[in-house]
Amino acid sequence: MIDVDEVTKVYATNKGPHVVLDHVNLRIPAGTSMGILGVNGAGKSTLLRIMSGVEMPDAGQVRRQGRISWPIGFSGGFNGSLSGEENCRFVARIYDEDVDRVVGFTHEFSELGDYFYMPIKTYSSGMKGRLAFGLSMAVDFDAYLVDEVTAVGDASFQKKCREAFAERRGRSSVIMVSHQPSTIRSYCDRAAVLKQGRLTVYDSVADAEKAYHA
Amino acid sequence: MNEQTAPYDALTLRSTGRGLLVQLHVIHALILRETRTRFGESHLGYLWALIEPLLWIATVAATYVLTGSTGKPGMTMVGFVGTGIITYELFRNCQSRVMVAVSSNMPLLFYPQVQPLDMMISRVLLEYATWFSVFVIILGGDALVRGELRVDDPLLVILGLLLAGALGGSFGAALCSLTVYSNSVDKVANALLRPMMFMSGTFFALEDMPPQLADYLVFNPMLHVVELVRDGWFPTYTSTRVNAWYPSIWIGGFTILALTLERVVRPKLQVT
Repeated sequence: MIDVDEVTKVYATNKGPHVVLDHVNLRIPAGTSMGILGVNGAGKSTLLRIMSGVEMPDAGQVRRQGRISWPIGFSGGFNGSLSGEENCRFVARIYDEDVDRVVGFTHEFSELGDYFYMPIKTYSSGMKGRLAFGLSMAVDFDAYLVDEVTAVGDASFQKKCREAFAERRGRSSVIMVSHQPSTIRSYCDRAAVLKQGRLTVYDSVADAEKAYHA
Repeated sequence: MNEQTAPYDALTLRSTGRGLLVQLHVIHALILRETRTRFGESHLGYLWALIEPLLWIATVAATYVLTGSTGKPGMTMVGFVGTGIITYELFRNCQSRVMVAVSSNMPLLFYPQVQPLDMMISRVLLEYATWFSVFVIILGGDALVRGELRVDDPLLVILGLLLAGALGGSFGAALCSLTVYSNSVDKVANALLRPMMFMSGTFFALEDMPPQLADYLVFNPMLHVVELVRDGWFPTYTSTRVNAWYPSIWIGGFTILALTLERVVRPKLQVT
């Protein structure tokens, strides 16, 4: 369960303060999925980071129950000079998971082959995304916070991502942010739209889509 | 209202215990990771930790030979310089490694349970492990060559080494937060600290200094630390003007400053 309560975040810019999130409220019960639609720069990733606990809100609070993932995306979380395998070991340890199981699962899921044992700095962004996604699937989270990363890889890899989530449906929540309604549609049954710092929750993805394009 | 208070208290107590466990997992993982990157780039790896003090010892040995000096009675040259240099290196490496602990581990802040303080703590612990080992190898090796080992007060040696790491770590932690505001902090700190090595008793004993100079030298907490280690190591050496309280007060001050700054700076750190 994640409960976002009156969260406000302001960033300082050259032109003065910019309100990214303006008293945002969002309640995601355990086992449900939620998509968040917004154009680039709407503050989707900021909201996701605040939900994960990586960034602190300027006002309001977030209550969490269960294991919440880190914000899963293309960038961040990896040390470039270490190999994919070594980064997996680190993550397995900080989540107190079986290191060998996590490494084995991620190696297979990410389809990186021998690159898995190469430094991350030699990876393309797609490869990093595949590693990040595979690694997050190796850890059993109650809620997965996903930042666009499922748009990664070819059609068969995307199919694998959807299947991995389908398998966890009902057990884990998926909170996904994207600027593409089609991505949200294939993962979530409800969606919200983030516009000018305000978040509105809709009962169906179709309703959210209408409001998003409006 | 009462219904809510009781479970809430139970929850905070349990989550404090769990939080501690999470932090231990994080620090353990960070230490293992740091051992890979600490000397990872170089082929000689951890041997570098030994090579640097050995080079200093060799340099000082050469000056001894050239000047015809015999060193201090009851102290071998390796012992004298070794106790000084290794203790100082522990301080200095803690300071410089902790200072950049956050900036060089920025991507790891992506994991909510990894906090800046964990990065600093794990770096200090790794430096302790490294320099305690170097101390045992070099000074133990010296004793082996001489065929005798008599440590005057082992606990005082350990106390001195602990203080050296804590002084470096707490100072580095305060600087670490400042680097968020300005990236020239580490350059300035490194330049200012360079002469420290020569003022901390690494190459001299306080009792050999002229009294007027010694009056000023004792303001340096690291001099106290080095003298304590030597006092504990050599049966023939007793340092009268130093104590463990003085560096401890510096450590306390730096720790309060560092923790305060960490609170101020933490919300400013952006992970992207």
